[in-house]
Amino acid sequence: MERIKIKHLFLAFGILSLALACSENNDGTADTEYPVIDASFTESFPQQCSVVKRGKMLVFRARFTDNVALGSFTVNVHNNFNHHSHTTEYGECADDPEEKTPVDPFTYNKSFDIPGAPRTYEAELEITIPDDVDPGDYHFEIRVVDQTGWQTLRGLSIKIQ
Amino acid sequence: MRIVHLVKPLIRALVMVHIGWAALNYAHAQGAGVAGQVTDSIGNPVVGAHVALGGADVRASGHRTATTDSSGIFSFSGVPTGDYRMVVRKVGYADWGTTVSVGRNAVKLAVVLKGGVRVLDEVLVIDNHVERRKQEESLNVEVVSKDFVYRNLGGSLMESLERLPGVQTIGIGSGQSKPLIRGLGFNRVVVVDRGVKHEGQQWGSDHGLELDQFAVGEVELIKGAASFVYGSDAIGGAVDVKPEPVPAPHTRSVSVDLVGRSNNLGYGGSVRAGGRSDRWFVDARSTYRRYGDYRVPTDTVYVYDYAVALPHRRLRNTAGRETDLHFTAGYLGSRFNSILYLSNTFHKTGFFANAHGLEPRRVDAELHDRLARDILFPSQQVNHFKAISRNAIHVRAHHIEAELGFQRNFRQEHSPYVAHGYMPPIFPDTLGIPASLEREFDKQVYSLNVKDYMEVDRHQLTFGLNGELQHNRIGGWTFLVPAFDQSTVGAFAYDRYRLTDRLLLHGAVRFDHGNLRMHGYRDWFPSDVPGGGQAYLVRAAELHRRFNSLVWSVGINYEPLESLLLKANVGKSFRMPIAKELSADGVNYHYFSYERGNPSLSAEQSYQADVSAEWRAGGWEIQISPFYNYFPNYIYLNPTASFDHFYGAGNQVFEYQESRVLRYGGEVHVSRRVGRSLTAEVLGEYLYSRQLSGDKKGFSLPFSPPPSLVMGLSWAPDRKGSPYVSVDYRLAAAQNRIVPPEKKTDGYGVMALRAGVEATVGGMPIQVNMQVQNLLDTRYMEHTSFYRLIELPEMGRNVIFSLRIPVVNKQS
Repeated sequence: MERIKIKHLFLAFGILSLALACSENNDGTADTEYPVIDASFTESFPQQCSVVKRGKMLVFRARFTDNVALGSFTVNVHNNFNHHSHTTEYGECADDPEEKTPVDPFTYNKSFDIPGAPRTYEAELEITIPDDVDPGDYHFEIRVVDQTGWQTLRGLSIKIQ
Repeated sequence: MRIVHLVKPLIRALVMVHIGWAALNYAHAQGAGVAGQVTDSIGNPVVGAHVALGGADVRASGHRTATTDSSGIFSFSGVPTGDYRMVVRKVGYADWGTTVSVGRNAVKLAVVLKGGVRVLDEVLVIDNHVERRKQEESLNVEVVSKDFVYRNLGGSLMESLERLPGVQTIGIGSGQSKPLIRGLGFNRVVVVDRGVKHEGQQWGSDHGLELDQFAVGEVELIKGAASFVYGSDAIGGAVDVKPEPVPAPHTRSVSVDLVGRSNNLGYGGSVRAGGRSDRWFVDARSTYRRYGDYRVPTDTVYVYDYAVALPHRRLRNTAGRETDLHFTAGYLGSRFNSILYLSNTFHKTGFFANAHGLEPRRVDAELHDRLARDILFPSQQVNHFKAISRNAIHVRAHHIEAELGFQRNFRQEHSPYVAHGYMPPIFPDTLGIPASLEREFDKQVYSLNVKDYMEVDRHQLTFGLNGELQHNRIGGWTFLVPAFDQSTVGAFAYDRYRLTDRLLLHGAVRFDHGNLRMHGYRDWFPSDVPGGGQAYLVRAAELHRRFNSLVWSVGINYEPLESLLLKANVGKSFRMPIAKELSADGVNYHYFSYERGNPSLSAEQSYQADVSAEWRAGGWEIQISPFYNYFPNYIYLNPTASFDHFYGAGNQVFEYQESRVLRYGGEVHVSRRVGRSLTAEVLGEYLYSRQLSGDKKGFSLPFSPPPSLVMGLSWAPDRKGSPYVSVDYRLAAAQNRIVPPEKKTDGYGVMALRAGVEATVGGMPIQVNMQVQNLLDTRYMEHTSFYRLIELPEMGRNVIFSLRIPVVNKQS
């Protein structure tokens, strides 16, 4: 009798624990969404396989959105002469046939806070490409982070001529 | 002749299990009684000691066995006249033997057992030390036998243990993994190997434990804080890996293990040879393992949006190989024993070539896909050497154990040079660093443990001292953690008080002192600095920190009924911050993160309450073990909302912070035996964690496993050597409680099949085990896998065959 009672008690406890385990604990508050680098933004530049000229200004344009609040973004341009590639894009561009050794490659690396923690932000940035840098294949990396710390990145392949 | 030698111990074991008890109850008409009491060296009765009465000339069926009762008393009745050999055995004591002459009168014996080490012998078959260990430990402990490891053989030791509720792994590839106990891992779980804390690069998620799973005896898992025994780091739990049992007296033995795996074309083997005279023994083992790229149930994986085609569904460059060597020698006396363990493990594996960490890379697919077994760049290799001396001495009421250990963990990551951030585009050859050496960690550790067990009345006291000295050096062209030296010393006292036969009380206190000295590090290349111009950045400043910590634990074990065991434990644990948490100041390009340490962190503390109830009767076995855990200052790597384009070369800033954390959850294990050979079981685990303060207030902790349930059905007739078949269905819920940079993981169900049999071929007993993991080739992702962030699915169907051939040659 005693044993049966205990058995039932255990089973009940077990079922309760399982029920607890299966019920989703929803806090409702935690932001679990990544910010977005809007691919449909028609004015965005550069795009995958864009070509830019030396001695000219590259005007970077992008639209970032987030469900709560944006934090900051960063832009990084570096050479891809060894074709190491960390593109995140579907489809590839035609690389220069030869891998080459960098002499004076162009690099750009800057980050910017997005003021006011908005949900949508259009970034515009003027990047001067000097006359004397090595032409060739480059990577153009854009990263955006929201106020929670979710990071989204996009790696584009571009060509400097 | 040889066959007889081989089969005899087997028969003897069988007899002990099945006929032993029957023989005990069988009343013989003639003969006298043999009875006695077994006590330890200070006169306390030894409960549950195994008493065997027999002789070399007596047929196996003439064997009788008995187990001592709660007063240490045993008895045999109706023993025919003659000379017998009596052996008394009990785990934790040296064997005791004598010759008994039985005439017409009853024989009375007083047996005194002395402390000793466990010995591999046939008697162990009916040994119940696992149950006793659980009964006498107030912490939540699981003890896993070598057989369990063999039946569940995964690519690495922790994977083989993953079936246990509350135990998960952080895996990378098909051959490496790290333990995660109730969602805590890395430096929050201590792994003890042969008595000494295993020291590798615990903080990393992309490499595994440097242990040879063939060379493992029993594995004891402590779920929940156990700092008072294991010191700093055991804040989440401990995995205590015991050595293989030493050979039995006067035997020579060879055993061979062979394993083959279908998924990654893996094969491997391990050979052990050893022998023992009465007191001296030697034992050696050699293991070799090799595996190719593993297969996943998909043709294409998406690294971000970049489609990576996988011909033959193989994950490029995930092959590996492992070579392990072990040598053990020792002296086992009745009062003193000493064992020397020497071992070396070497493991080399590739990283998935299309992504180094989270960084997508273009690869020469043709080169990689030509061979499934080659290990190209990027790759990692680790060599772990250990020398451990374990000693035990029994002096009057004291049983003193001491371990002295040295280990060296040498780990390298190789990758072609990629100029990140401000690194020069071409790698200079003037640095004295090979261009392919991305990271190098060289750790040398000296350890000393001393423990003194003694019994005073109803108290079982343990006093212990642990000391450890570490030298850590770094190399390679990237920087993550500075070189450092560390010394720790801890002392503890633990009292186990048997109030009544059914009630055990536990109390422990421990004090630790730690001393950390970080070396400075300066970049080898100049970077832009905020004021304009360029400079060689100081990544880590010299830093000296000291930590003191006082922790405690109290517990109770209560057996209100024969079938019911209740346990409770409350305690405080701690963990010293590691070098990375205090002094990291570098870019982890594989994660696009700039990790910034916090030199002012204090030692992490945790309070934990554990309850466990275990009930077994009438074929039922039910175990429920909930826990509650609170951290006033959990050290958490917080991904912030900013980038740093100077020190961080444009990467997202991750900062070490302290936050209050609440965790609770538990495990359920229900099993029901139906008839003589069928068992159905359900194993469930649940974990909830929440940060109560800091930037990520309301969020969970990283690597939180989702709730999961294993439903198993097994058929295994209760005879030694008989076949077994079992099916497991593992159901995991979705994990939607995530924290940056994690991704939500869908739920899944995977099925596994296991079967095995023991057969005798040409006079040799052979144990064959077969497993099919992911039977239905299900495509799923494991939330705690290293490759989760780049959306790589887990391994597809994998058929594992293993063969064990133990050859024991008894000398006459």
